[in-house]
Amino acid sequence: MFWHYIDLSWRSFKRTPMVTVLMVLAIAAGIGITMTSLSVYHMMAMDPMPHKSSQLFHPQLNARDDGDDWWTEDNLPHQMTYKDAMNLYRADIPRLKAPSMRTGFSVNLNSPDVKPFIESVRMTSRSFFSMFEFSFIHGAPWSQGQEESAAMVTVISRSMSETLFGQSDSVGENVYFDDNVFQIVGVYEDFDYHVKFYDLTNGAFNRAENAMIPITLIPPLKAQTWGNTNGWKFEEINSYQDMLNSEQAWLQFWVQLDTTEEEKEYREFLTNYLIEQESLGRFEREEVHFALRNLTQWMTYNRVVTEDNRILVSASFMFLTVCLANILGLLLGKFLRRVPEVGVRRALGANKRQVFLQHLVEVGLLGFIGGIIGIGIAQLGLWGVRATYSYYSAIATMDISMLLAAPAIAIGACVIAGIYPAWLVCRTNPAICLKTQ
Amino acid sequence: MYKAMSEIKPIVNALKRSKVGAILLMIQIMITTAIVSNAAFIIYDRSTYLQQETGYPEDEILYFAITTFGEDIDLSQLFEETETTLREIPGVIDAAVIAALPLSGSGSASGFDTLPHDQHQNGDNRNVRAAYTTGDDHVLNTLGVKIAEGRDFRPEDIVVTNDPSMLAKVAIVSRAFAEEIFPDENAIGKTFYSGNTGVEIIGIVDTMKGPWLKDSRPNNVIIFPRVEARMYQNVAVRATAEDRASVRKSIEDKILAQYDKRVVINMRGMDEAKAGYNAADLLMLRMLVVLIVVLVMITALGIFGMTVFNINKRTRQIGTRRALGARKSAIVQYFLVENGLICLVGLFFGCIGAYYLGGMLLREYSLPALNNLYIVVTALSVLVVSLLSVLLPANRASNISPSIATRTI
Repeated sequence: MFWHYIDLSWRSFKRTPMVTVLMVLAIAAGIGITMTSLSVYHMMAMDPMPHKSSQLFHPQLNARDDGDDWWTEDNLPHQMTYKDAMNLYRADIPRLKAPSMRTGFSVNLNSPDVKPFIESVRMTSRSFFSMFEFSFIHGAPWSQGQEESAAMVTVISRSMSETLFGQSDSVGENVYFDDNVFQIVGVYEDFDYHVKFYDLTNGAFNRAENAMIPITLIPPLKAQTWGNTNGWKFEEINSYQDMLNSEQAWLQFWVQLDTTEEEKEYREFLTNYLIEQESLGRFEREEVHFALRNLTQWMTYNRVVTEDNRILVSASFMFLTVCLANILGLLLGKFLRRVPEVGVRRALGANKRQVFLQHLVEVGLLGFIGGIIGIGIAQLGLWGVRATYSYYSAIATMDISMLLAAPAIAIGACVIAGIYPAWLVCRTNPAICLKTQ
Repeated sequence: MYKAMSEIKPIVNALKRSKVGAILLMIQIMITTAIVSNAAFIIYDRSTYLQQETGYPEDEILYFAITTFGEDIDLSQLFEETETTLREIPGVIDAAVIAALPLSGSGSASGFDTLPHDQHQNGDNRNVRAAYTTGDDHVLNTLGVKIAEGRDFRPEDIVVTNDPSMLAKVAIVSRAFAEEIFPDENAIGKTFYSGNTGVEIIGIVDTMKGPWLKDSRPNNVIIFPRVEARMYQNVAVRATAEDRASVRKSIEDKILAQYDKRVVINMRGMDEAKAGYNAADLLMLRMLVVLIVVLVMITALGIFGMTVFNINKRTRQIGTRRALGARKSAIVQYFLVENGLICLVGLFFGCIGAYYLGGMLLREYSLPALNNLYIVVTALSVLVVSLLSVLLPANRASNISPSIATRTI
């Protein structure tokens, strides 16, 4: 029966090609525009690690005086001071914790074969790799011992290894970061997420670093942050050591807390830590103030989905409504003209339900064609987004769920628009129609 | 006009018989008006932002950074020579090492005071936020800005050092900063403080923007006469607009020929750097333009389609009217008035919708308040577009021959 209805729909399209083209264009434009903004939204808002995002936490400490305003909604800084990050890193709990910081070097092999290039490098602890599930294809993260002794070791991504050595296995090779020789101990698969969720502070859609080195190398390398540094009080900073001792915040910090007990325990730990730090005279507060947000909360807090994108998504859904009203009007005209024909079918024995379904199949087919053309328009739109704003190049794409959503939304929308006209038609009293002919 | 009014009653009666079509059209016109007026306002807001005067000849300036990894060389000396090399390239007007690049989206800012830090508790200190950068006596010429009051840096002002505690004692500032920190008085010769270090203002530039056009104080800029050569060093070069492309190609080779344990990165024009910083706004602007254009087209097509449908339905009536002596213009007028009525009701609700949508955007997002003029202009444009979309099919209807009426009855 379904194929018969499809056949009938096709004949109907051919009978009124002009109106059909208008309707398909309307739905295609609506879907194209909506899917362009919705795809970007979908990529921005997607939970990157659904199985783990409630266990990864990003603590924020308010290690500042009362009354010192900060620009975030809850007055908490995004980053941590070196002192705090190191104290939390050296604490007994939890098992997995990762201070991290983005820096960069000119990478070279001290040979004329590879032209030196600039690359951002992350300094972190070895827990980082298991917390964010980096998969190693060769070697492994540096050892605990190497981390404690601040050994000059590094792990690099597959693409970096291929750039430098022409092959993915480069374990045991040496690489120069500026003038320092680092030994490669592991190669990991490229970080393949649309959102660089472990460092939202430096831009959520930036490229991930292609090399990591132990966080304990910060003092010996006098590593400079390639990100923001935020201070809140006047301090004389005349040396690198002054910077490390200062109240300037420039490190990110992550912990993994698997159970609610662990979370509760860690909250108590942070409370006590802040009380202890206050007693050292670092700051004066009535009560301690900190936050422990998990990955998804942290993404919301950092407004990974931009305001502009929210506006565009709502505007494009309103636009889709206009397209629907348009289609509804055209369908009304088209279907009502067909009343005499329907009268004949009814008289010949088709029941109301069949007539109703036949017309819904017709609008569904309309939606399907419009949806497919809409995907094409959305691809064009997303190409425009990428061309205008290369920063969005990883997220201005349609993944499989969006590709399926496009015709689904189109068919759904058309069926909604078609219900009223189809109902009007199937209500037709066959006797009256036959009489007028 | 009177004749048009006299047609309203039969038109309304006719509309009552096909309510749904008219209501659908009203809804389309309503939403279109609400979206287009707000989107047009956002577009205006963004394009004003994108086209603002920055004070710099953006198409003449080139930015790049040099990272030096060789440690067998005196950096200050090397950059002295690099500057000279750059200035000798044909077409180059001037070149300077610089700490933060204007309009690039990355730089430094701080609060500056009217009293030294140690005396804050004793008096009324004023703290003013400003972006700051450092450079030598070539920096103003390289950035293409002119001193409006006071004087430019002289070679003896420049502090060349590797010691972060050695600060400059004089500075050139933007007028916006001068007026904010020393309101109602001439800032030349006045001293402001960075911590406990006093800095005398020796020159004022009328307009120069800082690194972030979206900063809370985008116009407050301070330039200190200080050179601290760094492993990662920003450099600015100004060439004539025609020569910039050729200068750009030759820079890397010249620099590496001088000393090769370094990498030249991030070469871009100031206009490109600014475009990079503003790309998200340009994206929003373009998407809204596309949205508006397609939306108006769809609405116009909808009106067109509805009119064609109505005409088809009423072919016989039109023929009859013509047979009874109605002029062609009367037929066109009928459809224009009919559509005009629907459109006016739609516009009425559309304006209310636009007003509330604007209010909502203002509350929920960081957008300025919608100027009501945008609603009025949008409403008028939608009215014109809708009447134009009726005109074509209505003209066709007026050509319906009276004989049609007689033939089919």
